[in-house]
Amino acid sequence: MPMNYSVPRAWRERKKYYRLEAARCLSCGRVNYPPGPVCRYCGSDKLEKIELIDEKARLITWTVIHVPVEGYEEHRPLIIGIVETLDTKARLLTRIVDAEPSELSRGMILEPVLRRIREDGEAGLIHYAITYRPPIKQV
Amino acid sequence: MVDKPGIVGWGSYIPLNRLPLDEITRVWGFQPEMPSSLNVREKAVAGRDEDSVTMGWEAARNALRRAGIDPSLIGAVWFGTESKPYAVKPSATILAEALGITPVTMASDMEFACRAASEALRISLAAVSSGLVRYALVIGSDTAQANPGDVLEYTAASAATALIVGPGSEAAAVIEDSYTYVTDTPDFWRRAHQPYPLHGEGFTGAPAYFHHIVSAVKGLFEKTGLGPEDFTYAVFHQPNGTFPLRVAKMLGFPKEKVLPGLVTPYIGNSYNSSALIGLSRILDIANPGDTILLAPFGSGAGSDAYAIRVTEKVLEKQTLAPTVDDYLERKKKIDYALYAKHRGLIKRIR
Ligand SMILES: [Zn+2]
Repeated sequence: MPMNYSVPRAWRERKKYYRLEAARCLSCGRVNYPPGPVCRYCGSDKLEKIELIDEKARLITWTVIHVPVEGYEEHRPLIIGIVETLDTKARLLTRIVDAEPSELSRGMILEPVLRRIREDGEAGLIHYAITYRPPIKQV
Repeated sequence: MVDKPGIVGWGSYIPLNRLPLDEITRVWGFQPEMPSSLNVREKAVAGRDEDSVTMGWEAARNALRRAGIDPSLIGAVWFGTESKPYAVKPSATILAEALGITPVTMASDMEFACRAASEALRISLAAVSSGLVRYALVIGSDTAQANPGDVLEYTAASAATALIVGPGSEAAAVIEDSYTYVTDTPDFWRRAHQPYPLHGEGFTGAPAYFHHIVSAVKGLFEKTGLGPEDFTYAVFHQPNGTFPLRVAKMLGFPKEKVLPGLVTPYIGNSYNSSALIGLSRILDIANPGDTILLAPFGSGAGSDAYAIRVTEKVLEKQTLAPTVDDYLERKKKIDYALYAKHRGLIKRIR
Protein backbone atom coordinates (compact mmCIF):
# COMPACT_ATOMS: atom_id res chain seq x y z
CA MET A 1 0.00 0.00 0.00
CA PRO A 2 1.82 3.15 -1.12
CA MET A 3 1.75 6.16 1.18
CA ASN A 4 1.46 9.52 -0.50
CA TYR A 5 2.87 11.33 2.49
CA SER A 6 5.94 10.03 4.31
CA VAL A 7 5.09 8.56 7.71
CA PRO A 8 8.53 9.42 9.20
CA ARG A 9 8.08 12.99 8.00
CA ALA A 10 4.65 13.29 9.64
CA TRP A 11 6.13 11.91 12.87
CA ARG A 12 9.16 14.24 12.75
CA GLU A 13 6.97 17.28 12.17
CA ARG A 14 4.33 16.56 14.81
CA LYS A 15 5.48 19.21 17.33
CA LYS A 16 5.53 21.79 14.56
CA TYR A 17 1.96 20.98 13.58
CA TYR A 18 0.46 20.17 17.00
CA ARG A 19 2.21 22.69 19.24
CA LEU A 20 3.44 25.28 16.73
CA GLU A 21 7.01 24.62 17.75
CA ALA A 22 9.07 27.54 16.44
CA ALA A 23 12.66 28.84 16.67
CA ARG A 24 13.42 32.13 18.42
CA CYS A 25 16.65 33.72 17.23
CA LEU A 26 18.97 34.61 20.11
CA SER A 27 20.80 37.13 17.88
CA CYS A 28 17.99 39.24 16.39
CA GLY A 29 15.09 38.08 18.59
CA ARG A 30 12.73 37.20 15.75
CA VAL A 31 10.67 34.04 15.77
CA ASN A 32 10.95 31.63 12.84
CA TYR A 33 8.02 29.42 11.83
CA PRO A 34 8.49 26.86 10.52
CA PRO A 35 11.70 26.48 12.51
CA GLY A 36 14.89 25.92 10.49
CA PRO A 37 18.59 25.39 11.25
CA VAL A 38 19.39 29.12 10.85
CA CYS A 39 17.40 32.33 11.36
CA ARG A 40 15.84 33.37 8.09
CA TYR A 41 16.01 37.03 9.10
CA CYS A 42 19.70 37.35 10.11
CA GLY A 43 21.36 34.02 9.36
CA SER A 44 22.33 33.28 12.96
CA ASP A 45 22.39 29.65 14.08
CA LYS A 46 21.80 30.56 17.73
CA LEU A 47 18.16 29.53 18.09
CA GLU A 48 15.94 28.35 20.93
CA LYS A 49 12.77 26.29 20.62
CA ILE A 50 9.51 27.89 21.72
CA GLU A 51 5.81 27.03 21.26
CA LEU A 52 3.24 29.44 19.83
CA ILE A 53 0.22 27.32 20.75
CA ASP A 54 -1.02 29.55 23.59
CA GLU A 55 -1.09 32.77 21.56
CA LYS A 56 -3.84 34.36 19.56
CA ALA A 57 -2.85 35.89 16.22
CA ARG A 58 -3.78 38.79 13.96
CA LEU A 59 -4.89 38.15 10.39
CA ILE A 60 -2.50 39.87 7.98
CA THR A 61 -3.85 38.64 4.63
CA TRP A 62 -5.59 35.66 3.06
CA THR A 63 -6.64 34.01 -0.15
CA VAL A 64 -9.60 31.82 -1.04
CA ILE A 65 -8.83 28.71 -3.10
CA HIS A 66 -11.77 27.30 -5.05
CA VAL A 67 -9.66 24.84 -7.07
CA PRO A 68 -7.35 23.17 -4.56
CA VAL A 69 -4.99 20.30 -5.30
CA GLU A 70 -6.42 16.79 -5.36
CA GLY A 71 -7.54 15.50 -1.99
CA TYR A 72 -8.94 18.76 -0.66
CA GLU A 73 -12.26 18.79 -2.57
CA GLU A 74 -14.30 18.31 0.59
CA HIS A 75 -12.69 21.37 2.20
CA ARG A 76 -13.51 23.76 -0.65
CA PRO A 77 -13.22 26.68 -0.56
CA LEU A 78 -9.91 26.53 1.29
CA ILE A 79 -8.94 29.73 3.05
CA ILE A 80 -5.18 30.13 3.46
CA GLY A 81 -3.95 33.10 5.45
CA ILE A 82 -0.88 34.69 6.91
CA VAL A 83 -1.26 35.46 10.60
CA GLU A 84 1.05 37.14 13.11
CA THR A 85 1.10 35.87 16.69
CA LEU A 86 0.25 38.61 19.18
CA ASP A 87 3.21 38.33 21.59
CA THR A 88 6.05 36.71 19.68
CA LYS A 89 5.21 38.36 16.30
CA ALA A 90 5.86 35.15 14.41
CA ARG A 91 4.34 34.99 10.93
CA LEU A 92 2.63 31.75 9.96
CA LEU A 93 1.04 30.46 6.80
CA THR A 94 -2.09 28.67 8.00
CA ARG A 95 -5.50 27.35 7.10
CA ILE A 96 -8.43 29.42 8.38
CA VAL A 97 -11.49 27.43 9.45
CA ASP A 98 -15.03 27.99 10.74
CA ALA A 99 -15.37 31.23 8.77
CA GLU A 100 -16.80 32.31 5.44
CA PRO A 101 -14.48 34.49 3.34
CA SER A 102 -16.99 37.35 3.83
CA GLU A 103 -16.53 37.13 7.61
CA LEU A 104 -12.79 37.88 7.48
CA SER A 105 -11.19 41.28 7.83
CA ARG A 106 -7.62 42.50 7.94
CA GLY A 107 -6.31 42.74 11.51
CA MET A 108 -8.99 40.55 13.07
CA ILE A 109 -7.94 38.34 15.98
CA LEU A 110 -7.90 34.58 15.41
CA GLU A 111 -7.18 31.68 17.74
CA PRO A 112 -5.41 28.35 17.17
CA VAL A 113 -7.46 25.18 16.87
CA LEU A 114 -6.50 21.59 16.04
CA ARG A 115 -8.09 20.17 12.89
CA ARG A 116 -7.71 17.28 10.44
CA ILE A 117 -5.83 18.78 7.53
CA ARG A 118 -5.42 15.78 5.24
CA GLU A 119 -5.88 12.04 5.03
CA ASP A 120 -3.58 9.69 3.20
CA GLY A 121 -6.35 7.95 1.23
CA GLU A 122 -8.87 5.67 2.96
CA ALA A 123 -6.27 3.53 4.74
CA GLY A 124 -3.28 5.79 5.46
CA LEU A 125 -2.58 8.23 8.26
CA ILE A 126 -4.84 11.08 9.28
CA HIS A 127 -2.84 14.29 9.63
CA TYR A 128 -3.74 16.83 12.29
CA ALA A 129 -2.45 20.38 12.51
CA ILE A 130 -3.14 23.71 14.14
CA THR A 131 -5.30 26.02 12.04
CA TYR A 132 -6.85 29.36 13.04
CA ARG A 133 -10.45 30.50 13.44
CA PRO A 134 -12.38 33.47 14.84
CA PRO A 135 -12.44 33.14 18.65
CA ILE A 136 -15.40 31.47 20.37
CA LYS A 137 -15.64 34.53 22.54
CA GLN A 138 -14.30 37.97 21.63
CA VAL A 139 -12.35 39.15 24.68
CA MET B 1 -9.95 12.23 56.70
CA VAL B 2 -8.62 11.46 53.24
CA ASP B 3 -8.53 14.30 50.75
CA LYS B 4 -11.19 13.19 48.26
CA PRO B 5 -10.35 13.83 44.62
CA GLY B 6 -12.29 16.26 42.52
CA ILE B 7 -12.59 18.18 39.29
CA VAL B 8 -9.82 20.79 39.05
CA GLY B 9 -10.71 21.81 35.49
CA TRP B 10 -13.61 21.27 33.11
CA GLY B 11 -14.38 22.31 29.56
CA SER B 12 -16.54 21.48 26.58
CA TYR B 13 -16.70 21.96 22.85
CA ILE B 14 -19.65 22.09 20.44
CA PRO B 15 -19.03 22.35 16.69
CA LEU B 16 -20.32 25.37 14.80
CA ASN B 17 -22.84 23.68 12.48
CA ARG B 18 -26.44 22.94 13.58
CA LEU B 19 -28.93 20.88 11.66
CA PRO B 20 -32.57 21.83 12.46
CA LEU B 21 -34.29 18.48 12.96
CA ASP B 22 -37.16 19.45 10.66
CA GLU B 23 -34.64 18.87 7.88
CA ILE B 24 -34.53 15.15 8.76
CA THR B 25 -38.33 15.05 8.73
CA ARG B 26 -38.35 16.77 5.32
CA VAL B 27 -35.85 14.35 3.78
CA TRP B 28 -37.01 11.07 5.33
CA GLY B 29 -40.77 11.61 5.65
CA PHE B 30 -41.19 11.04 9.38
CA GLN B 31 -44.16 12.49 11.26
CA PRO B 32 -43.72 16.27 11.63
CA GLU B 33 -43.98 16.01 15.43
CA MET B 34 -40.87 13.81 15.75
CA PRO B 35 -38.51 16.59 16.94
CA SER B 36 -40.98 17.86 19.54
CA SER B 37 -41.74 14.33 20.79
CA LEU B 38 -37.99 13.87 21.34
CA ASN B 39 -37.75 17.40 22.81
CA VAL B 40 -34.77 18.17 20.54
CA ARG B 41 -34.76 21.09 18.09
CA GLU B 42 -31.33 21.03 16.46
CA LYS B 43 -28.26 18.86 16.50
CA ALA B 44 -24.60 19.85 16.43
CA VAL B 45 -22.69 18.55 13.41
CA ALA B 46 -18.90 18.22 13.30
CA GLY B 47 -17.32 19.71 10.17
CA ARG B 48 -15.39 17.78 7.53
CA ASP B 49 -12.11 18.75 9.24
CA GLU B 50 -13.25 17.66 12.71
CA ASP B 51 -13.47 14.35 14.53
CA SER B 52 -13.59 13.08 18.10
CA VAL B 53 -9.87 13.88 18.51
CA THR B 54 -10.05 17.53 17.40
CA MET B 55 -13.20 18.13 19.45
CA GLY B 56 -11.67 16.42 22.48
CA TRP B 57 -8.56 18.58 22.04
CA GLU B 58 -10.56 21.79 22.35
CA ALA B 59 -12.57 20.57 25.34
CA ALA B 60 -9.29 19.56 27.03
CA ARG B 61 -7.68 22.93 26.26
CA ASN B 62 -10.62 24.59 28.02
CA ALA B 63 -10.28 22.22 30.99
CA LEU B 64 -6.53 22.96 31.17
CA ARG B 65 -7.21 26.72 31.23
CA ARG B 66 -9.54 26.24 34.19
CA ALA B 67 -7.16 23.86 35.97
CA GLY B 68 -4.25 26.28 35.54
CA ILE B 69 -1.72 23.43 35.64
CA ASP B 70 1.31 22.53 33.54
CA PRO B 71 -0.02 19.83 31.16
CA SER B 72 3.08 17.69 31.74
CA LEU B 73 1.85 17.07 35.32
CA ILE B 74 -1.01 14.98 33.95
CA GLY B 75 -0.25 11.29 34.45
CA ALA B 76 -3.16 9.73 32.57
CA VAL B 77 -5.12 10.59 29.43
CA TRP B 78 -8.23 8.47 29.12
CA PHE B 79 -10.33 9.04 26.05
CA GLY B 80 -13.92 7.80 26.00
CA THR B 81 -15.48 7.58 22.55
CA GLU B 82 -17.39 5.31 20.23
CA SER B 83 -16.24 7.24 17.15
CA LYS B 84 -12.48 6.71 17.09
CA PRO B 85 -10.76 8.12 13.98
CA TYR B 86 -8.62 4.95 13.80
CA ALA B 87 -9.86 1.42 14.47
CA VAL B 88 -6.34 0.60 15.69
CA LYS B 89 -4.02 3.38 16.91
CA PRO B 90 -4.74 5.25 20.10
CA SER B 91 -6.46 8.61 19.84
CA ALA B 92 -5.23 9.28 23.38
CA THR B 93 -1.61 9.55 22.24
CA ILE B 94 -2.51 12.12 19.56
CA LEU B 95 -4.31 14.11 22.24
CA ALA B 96 -1.54 13.71 24.83
CA GLU B 97 1.06 14.90 22.30
CA ALA B 98 -1.03 17.81 20.99
CA LEU B 99 -1.86 18.94 24.53
CA GLY B 100 1.78 18.90 25.72
CA ILE B 101 1.30 15.98 28.12
CA THR B 102 3.69 13.41 26.55
CA PRO B 103 5.82 11.41 27.15
CA VAL B 104 5.48 10.48 30.85
CA THR B 105 1.81 9.56 31.03
CA MET B 106 -0.63 6.70 30.66
CA ALA B 107 -2.85 7.05 27.61
CA SER B 108 -5.59 4.90 26.17
CA ASP B 109 -8.95 4.87 24.44
CA MET B 110 -11.91 3.39 26.26
CA GLU B 111 -15.07 1.91 24.78
CA PHE B 112 -18.42 1.40 26.49
CA ALA B 113 -20.88 3.05 24.07
CA CYS B 114 -21.79 6.38 25.73
CA ARG B 115 -20.35 5.45 29.12
CA ALA B 116 -16.62 5.00 28.40
CA ALA B 117 -15.67 8.48 29.63
CA SER B 118 -17.58 7.87 32.85
CA GLU B 119 -15.60 4.67 33.45
CA ALA B 120 -12.51 6.82 32.79
CA LEU B 121 -13.75 9.21 35.48
CA ARG B 122 -14.16 6.42 38.03
CA ILE B 123 -10.68 5.07 37.26
CA SER B 124 -9.24 8.59 37.48
CA LEU B 125 -10.72 9.02 40.95
CA ALA B 126 -8.97 5.81 42.01
CA ALA B 127 -5.69 6.80 40.34
CA VAL B 128 -5.65 10.20 42.03
CA SER B 129 -6.77 8.90 45.47
CA SER B 130 -4.12 6.22 45.45
CA GLY B 131 -1.36 8.69 44.59
CA LEU B 132 -0.60 6.88 41.32
CA VAL B 133 -1.00 10.18 39.45
CA ARG B 134 -1.46 13.79 40.57
CA TYR B 135 -3.81 14.67 37.71
CA ALA B 136 -5.79 12.60 35.20
CA LEU B 137 -7.45 13.89 32.06
CA VAL B 138 -10.83 12.39 31.14
CA ILE B 139 -12.25 13.20 27.72
CA GLY B 140 -15.67 12.20 26.39
CA SER B 141 -15.98 13.03 22.70
CA ASP B 142 -18.14 11.70 19.90
CA THR B 143 -19.16 12.36 16.34
CA ALA B 144 -22.07 9.98 16.75
CA GLN B 145 -23.14 8.07 13.64
CA ALA B 146 -26.62 6.97 12.63
CA ASN B 147 -27.90 5.11 9.62
CA PRO B 148 -29.43 7.80 7.38
CA GLY B 149 -33.22 7.57 7.73
CA ASP B 150 -33.03 5.73 11.07
CA VAL B 151 -34.87 7.46 13.91
CA LEU B 152 -31.47 7.61 15.66
CA GLU B 153 -30.41 10.18 13.08
CA TYR B 154 -32.55 12.80 14.85
CA THR B 155 -30.33 12.78 17.90
CA ALA B 156 -26.87 11.40 16.94
CA ALA B 157 -24.74 14.52 17.36
CA SER B 158 -21.21 15.80 17.95
CA ALA B 159 -19.64 17.44 21.02
CA ALA B 160 -16.92 16.89 23.61
CA THR B 161 -16.30 17.44 27.31
CA ALA B 162 -13.09 17.12 29.32
CA LEU B 163 -12.53 16.88 33.06
CA ILE B 164 -9.21 17.11 34.86
CA VAL B 165 -9.31 15.07 38.05
CA GLY B 166 -6.91 16.05 40.82
CA PRO B 167 -6.56 16.64 44.56
CA GLY B 168 -9.73 17.80 46.30
CA SER B 169 -7.84 20.72 47.83
CA GLU B 170 -7.47 22.23 44.32
CA ALA B 171 -10.87 21.19 43.01
CA ALA B 172 -13.84 23.24 41.85
CA ALA B 173 -15.99 20.26 42.78
CA VAL B 174 -15.17 17.33 45.03
CA ILE B 175 -16.51 13.89 44.15
CA GLU B 176 -17.81 12.62 47.47
CA ASP B 177 -18.87 9.16 46.34
CA SER B 178 -19.69 7.05 43.32
CA TYR B 179 -21.46 3.80 42.43
CA THR B 180 -21.59 1.69 39.27
CA TYR B 181 -24.18 -0.78 37.94
CA VAL B 182 -23.62 -2.84 34.76
CA THR B 183 -25.28 -5.86 33.11
CA ASP B 184 -25.12 -7.52 29.68
CA THR B 185 -28.09 -5.77 28.07
CA PRO B 186 -27.92 -5.58 24.26
CA ASP B 187 -29.87 -2.37 23.62
CA PHE B 188 -27.45 -0.85 21.07
CA TRP B 189 -24.37 -2.13 19.23
CA ARG B 190 -22.22 -1.79 16.15
CA ARG B 191 -20.38 -4.78 14.71
CA ALA B 192 -16.84 -4.48 13.33
CA HIS B 193 -16.62 -2.83 9.87
CA GLN B 194 -20.26 -1.72 10.04
CA PRO B 195 -20.64 2.03 9.48
CA TYR B 196 -23.74 2.51 11.64
CA PRO B 197 -25.04 1.04 14.89
CA LEU B 198 -28.22 -0.98 15.37
CA HIS B 199 -30.54 -0.74 18.36
CA GLY B 200 -33.16 -2.97 19.87
CA GLU B 201 -36.30 -1.00 18.99
CA GLY B 202 -38.32 -0.41 22.15
CA PHE B 203 -35.56 -2.08 24.15
CA THR B 204 -33.43 1.01 24.74
CA GLY B 205 -35.80 2.48 27.34
CA ALA B 206 -37.09 0.38 30.26
CA PRO B 207 -34.55 -2.49 30.50
CA ALA B 208 -31.57 -0.38 29.45
CA TYR B 209 -31.60 3.37 30.17
CA PHE B 210 -34.15 3.49 32.98
CA HIS B 211 -33.21 0.26 34.77
CA HIS B 212 -29.48 1.02 34.86
CA ILE B 213 -29.69 4.69 35.83
CA VAL B 214 -32.31 4.05 38.51
CA SER B 215 -30.26 1.14 39.90
CA ALA B 216 -27.02 3.14 39.98
CA VAL B 217 -28.63 6.19 41.61
CA LYS B 218 -30.55 4.12 44.16
CA GLY B 219 -27.34 2.23 44.90
CA LEU B 220 -25.57 5.52 45.56
CA PHE B 221 -28.42 6.68 47.77
CA GLU B 222 -28.28 3.48 49.83
CA LYS B 223 -24.49 3.64 50.10
CA THR B 224 -24.41 7.28 51.21
CA GLY B 225 -27.77 7.83 52.89
CA LEU B 226 -28.40 10.73 50.50
CA GLY B 227 -31.67 11.38 48.64
CA PRO B 228 -32.98 13.67 45.90
CA GLU B 229 -33.56 16.48 48.42
CA ASP B 230 -29.80 16.58 49.13
CA PHE B 231 -28.93 17.74 45.61
CA THR B 232 -29.13 21.19 44.02
CA TYR B 233 -28.86 19.74 40.49
CA ALA B 234 -29.23 16.37 38.78
CA VAL B 235 -27.65 15.47 35.44
CA PHE B 236 -28.47 12.26 33.60
CA HIS B 237 -27.35 10.77 30.32
CA GLN B 238 -29.49 12.53 27.74
CA PRO B 239 -30.14 10.49 24.57
CA ASN B 240 -33.06 12.84 23.87
CA GLY B 241 -34.79 15.67 25.72
CA THR B 242 -37.45 13.53 27.41
CA PHE B 243 -35.71 10.47 28.99
CA PRO B 244 -33.74 12.55 31.55
CA LEU B 245 -36.93 14.25 32.75
CA ARG B 246 -38.69 10.88 33.06
CA VAL B 247 -35.87 9.22 34.96
CA ALA B 248 -35.64 12.28 37.24
CA LYS B 249 -39.32 11.90 38.08
CA MET B 250 -38.86 8.17 38.81
CA LEU B 251 -36.07 9.09 41.25
CA GLY B 252 -37.93 11.98 42.89
CA PHE B 253 -36.06 14.93 41.36
CA PRO B 254 -38.16 17.91 40.29
CA LYS B 255 -37.72 19.19 36.71
CA GLU B 256 -36.11 22.42 37.96
CA LYS B 257 -33.05 20.50 39.19
CA VAL B 258 -32.61 18.82 35.80
CA LEU B 259 -33.21 21.61 33.28
CA PRO B 260 -29.94 23.55 33.89
CA GLY B 261 -27.91 20.48 32.87
CA LEU B 262 -30.17 19.44 29.99
CA VAL B 263 -28.23 20.34 26.83
CA THR B 264 -29.58 17.73 24.37
CA PRO B 265 -32.62 19.84 23.29
CA TYR B 266 -30.15 22.32 21.73
CA ILE B 267 -27.45 20.05 20.28
CA GLY B 268 -28.71 16.45 20.27
CA ASN B 269 -27.08 13.49 22.00
CA SER B 270 -23.29 13.78 22.10
CA TYR B 271 -22.86 10.23 23.45
CA ASN B 272 -19.71 10.21 25.64
CA SER B 273 -20.15 13.94 26.20
CA SER B 274 -23.92 13.69 26.76
CA ALA B 275 -24.16 13.71 30.56
CA LEU B 276 -20.72 15.32 30.99
CA ILE B 277 -21.63 18.42 28.98
CA GLY B 278 -24.62 18.81 31.30
CA LEU B 279 -22.22 18.68 34.27
CA SER B 280 -19.96 21.16 32.49
CA ARG B 281 -22.84 23.61 31.99
CA ILE B 282 -23.79 23.33 35.66
CA LEU B 283 -20.20 23.95 36.79
CA ASP B 284 -20.24 27.07 34.56
CA ILE B 285 -22.99 28.55 36.76
CA ALA B 286 -22.66 26.68 40.08
CA ASN B 287 -22.12 28.30 43.46
CA PRO B 288 -19.94 27.04 46.30
CA GLY B 289 -21.87 24.53 48.41
CA ASP B 290 -24.10 23.37 45.55
CA THR B 291 -24.44 19.62 45.19
CA ILE B 292 -24.77 17.71 41.93
CA LEU B 293 -25.96 14.21 41.15
CA LEU B 294 -24.35 12.96 37.94
CA ALA B 295 -25.52 9.75 36.26
CA PRO B 296 -24.08 8.88 32.84
CA PHE B 297 -25.31 5.77 31.01
CA GLY B 298 -23.91 3.61 28.23
CA SER B 299 -25.62 0.95 26.17
CA GLY B 300 -24.54 -2.58 26.61
CA ALA B 301 -25.29 -1.50 29.43
CA GLY B 302 -24.23 0.40 32.53
CA SER B 303 -24.61 3.54 34.59
CA ASP B 304 -22.57 5.37 37.21
CA ALA B 305 -23.92 7.68 39.89
CA TYR B 306 -21.72 10.38 41.44
CA ALA B 307 -22.34 12.68 44.41
CA ILE B 308 -20.51 15.95 43.73
CA ARG B 309 -20.02 18.96 46.03
CA VAL B 310 -19.05 22.31 44.54
CA THR B 311 -16.29 24.22 46.36
CA GLU B 312 -15.46 27.93 46.61
CA LYS B 313 -12.79 27.44 43.90
CA VAL B 314 -15.47 27.11 41.22
CA LEU B 315 -16.00 30.87 40.95
CA GLU B 316 -12.44 31.81 40.00
CA LYS B 317 -12.37 29.07 37.34
CA GLN B 318 -15.70 29.81 35.64
CA THR B 319 -14.40 32.79 33.66
CA LEU B 320 -11.12 31.20 32.51
CA ALA B 321 -12.51 29.48 29.39
CA PRO B 322 -15.56 29.65 27.12
CA THR B 323 -18.72 28.25 28.74
CA VAL B 324 -21.12 25.69 27.29
CA ASP B 325 -23.52 28.58 26.64
CA ASP B 326 -20.84 30.44 24.66
CA TYR B 327 -20.70 27.42 22.34
CA LEU B 328 -24.51 27.08 22.26
CA GLU B 329 -24.80 30.67 21.08
CA ARG B 330 -22.10 30.32 18.41
CA LYS B 331 -23.89 28.44 15.67
CA LYS B 332 -24.54 28.29 11.97
CA LYS B 333 -27.62 26.55 10.57
CA ILE B 334 -27.03 24.09 7.75
CA ASP B 335 -29.39 22.01 5.60
CA TYR B 336 -29.45 18.24 5.11
CA ALA B 337 -27.19 18.43 2.06
CA LEU B 338 -24.37 20.17 3.91
CA TYR B 339 -24.88 17.89 6.91
CA ALA B 340 -24.55 14.87 4.60
CA LYS B 341 -21.30 16.26 3.22
CA HIS B 342 -19.87 17.10 6.65
CA ARG B 343 -20.67 13.68 8.09
CA GLY B 344 -19.36 11.79 5.06
CA LEU B 345 -22.77 10.40 4.08
CA ILE B 346 -22.11 11.16 0.43
CA LYS B 347 -20.08 8.41 -1.19
CA ARG B 348 -17.27 9.83 -3.32
CA ILE B 349 -14.46 8.11 -5.19
CA ARG B 350 -11.33 9.31 -3.43
ZN1 LIG C 1 17.88 36.24 13.67
